[in-house]
Amino acid sequence: MFPQKPTSLIVSALCFYLVLTSISPLAIAQKKTAPVESTPPPIREEFKFGKIDLEVFEQSDLLDSKLERDGLVLHDESANAYLRRIGLSLVPKELSLERVAWNFRMLRDPQPNAFALPNGSIYVTTGLIFLVDNESQLAAIIAHEMTHVLRRHTYVQNRSNRKKFLTMNIMAAVGTFAPGGIVGAVITIVTAVAPFILMATVYGYSQDLEREADLKGVDMMISAEYSPEEMVNVMRLLDKDIEGENIRLFYNDHPSLEERIKYLSSYLGARADRVTQQMELNRERTAYFKTMEPVMRHNLQLSIMAGRFRSALFHAQRLVDFHPDSENLFWLAEAYRTLGPRSSQLTDKELTNSAKKDAAKKRVKRTLEEEEQDLLATPSGKDNWQTHQQKAEEFYLRALSAENPVPVIHRGLGMLYEKLGRANDAASEYGKYIELAPAAIDRERIKKRIEALRRT
Amino acid sequence: MKLTNSLVFRLRVLVLVVATLLLVGFTSHSIHAQFLHPKIKSKETTIRTVIVFPAKVNVVRDSMKGPEGMAAESDELSMRVEKMIAEVFSKKKNVTTLFPPSAASSQSDAQPNYNVADFQTKFDDLLPKIMKKRSDVKTGRFTMGDEVLNLNLEKTTDAIVFIRGEGKKLTGGKTAFTMLVGGMPAYLRLEIGIVDARTGEVLLYADPIFTGDPTKAVDRLRKALEKGLKKLPAAQPTP
Repeated sequence: MFPQKPTSLIVSALCFYLVLTSISPLAIAQKKTAPVESTPPPIREEFKFGKIDLEVFEQSDLLDSKLERDGLVLHDESANAYLRRIGLSLVPKELSLERVAWNFRMLRDPQPNAFALPNGSIYVTTGLIFLVDNESQLAAIIAHEMTHVLRRHTYVQNRSNRKKFLTMNIMAAVGTFAPGGIVGAVITIVTAVAPFILMATVYGYSQDLEREADLKGVDMMISAEYSPEEMVNVMRLLDKDIEGENIRLFYNDHPSLEERIKYLSSYLGARADRVTQQMELNRERTAYFKTMEPVMRHNLQLSIMAGRFRSALFHAQRLVDFHPDSENLFWLAEAYRTLGPRSSQLTDKELTNSAKKDAAKKRVKRTLEEEEQDLLATPSGKDNWQTHQQKAEEFYLRALSAENPVPVIHRGLGMLYEKLGRANDAASEYGKYIELAPAAIDRERIKKRIEALRRT
Repeated sequence: MKLTNSLVFRLRVLVLVVATLLLVGFTSHSIHAQFLHPKIKSKETTIRTVIVFPAKVNVVRDSMKGPEGMAAESDELSMRVEKMIAEVFSKKKNVTTLFPPSAASSQSDAQPNYNVADFQTKFDDLLPKIMKKRSDVKTGRFTMGDEVLNLNLEKTTDAIVFIRGEGKKLTGGKTAFTMLVGGMPAYLRLEIGIVDARTGEVLLYADPIFTGDPTKAVDRLRKALEKGLKKLPAAQPTP
């Protein structure tokens, strides 16, 4: 029988709506298995700007200036020009989009990431620059992000989110007003759970839009003579979890890596067969590393500052492999010194989802110094510490005999010796550093350290 | 008299509205907690000159259709908080306030900008740990290390002030909705950390919070800041 009272009718209607919206993410997930088909080219301008879209557009411009003002945008002339060249080569020819001005910037952030603002600003973090192996892989990321702009995904997603939030608010109301009994209790429970599901879809784009960006990104890569296979390769790189921080949540906005590789490989099909000379050139690792080496070194510094010691070690080793007899040896030594008692790689056990969650909780509770002290109290921590300090010294000394040794090597040695309790050696190395780099930014800090060491 | 279902429903709504109004009315005062490093408490360290780093205060407009960003208003509020904290320091604590070199975008002078940004990030990393156990500030557990000296601040600078904040402004519809069914009222919560400019130790942590429209409640903001820094001993005026 149908409910007779109007309030019951409203509650029933809202229940139906609630169930519908709760199931919709599952429906989206189901679509993932659908066969991959060719899609029309990304040039399609049927978008009509509404008031809400214009607000989002304004916010994007403000965000651009905020990122710049807060010192988060990296200024490296040659690397920026390189990034711009890659980005512009991907823009479909003779394309002009309303309220889009392409800008390609690097963010000073060691965590690999990239995002696009609807006004045409594409941001790639220095962590991502370091992670990829060649220009084609970077182009794959940029093409993916550009598709979000070309297809107006931010506006589409924002409109969709607003509907979801309206649902969430209505659900809250129903939860409060529902009469006692089973219906009220169920709604109250789902209201508590539903925001979680809804919120999960709020962060980032929906799986459908991400999938579209992946596939259209491939088309754009082919048009710009970048090997489309690199889109798949970069996916694999992004899954590399050096710091044990990729925690799989109940509902992820991006399709799973396996799923992405599967549909991308299926989509590539014969498209991957045609390999031009230019495509081969764009896959060259050496040329990419040569251009991005200063950015990579900058990122190493950021990684160490952010306590991402394992990433720093992994990337410093890659830099040394690329250009051994250079300043890169100093960065490898720094990575070993700051790694301290931590293991250089996480074990399989540490990479399980539950272990990562525990580690994330601990990271909020303990400072880096406390973490080191705790590890030093364990036999494996002590062993790691000894091994890493020895390696650090070895690489500092090798860096000193490399071409054009930089003064900071002495600072690194000073810090190493200070930690090892060799006060005189530490003071001597610090002294050499100040002598060789009298205008160093950390001069005061090192002078204070020398004074303290001489007092002991 | 037997109450009908409809009457029970209406009574329930009325009780909820009254309860919400009372709750909002009684909590409209600011709440503030302060934790001082032992060096400040024992007056081993006295703060006379501070440098206020750019505040990062974010407010959102919460409507029935979800939260919307308020980037311009957030920037304006951040600057207001910086200025107001400088006023509180000057009037109530005899502390002189300096501001870091203004942000630059050209490559030639990007380094000072990076330096400030890196220290802001470092504080952001430390903040969750402080918030997890705020009382540990009293034991001197938290420090940003001697890297603060890399900022090469003026020698007279005793401390660096970091300000973070988050707030919510409600639209008319959302305010009515909140009054009817409950929920978080408009508010502003600040997190203020004062760090020793020579050693990097966290000398004070305060997190004042007040209810009301964060973009308009200027007096409430001032009062919240005054109360938030109440325990910080005032410096002796220079003769």
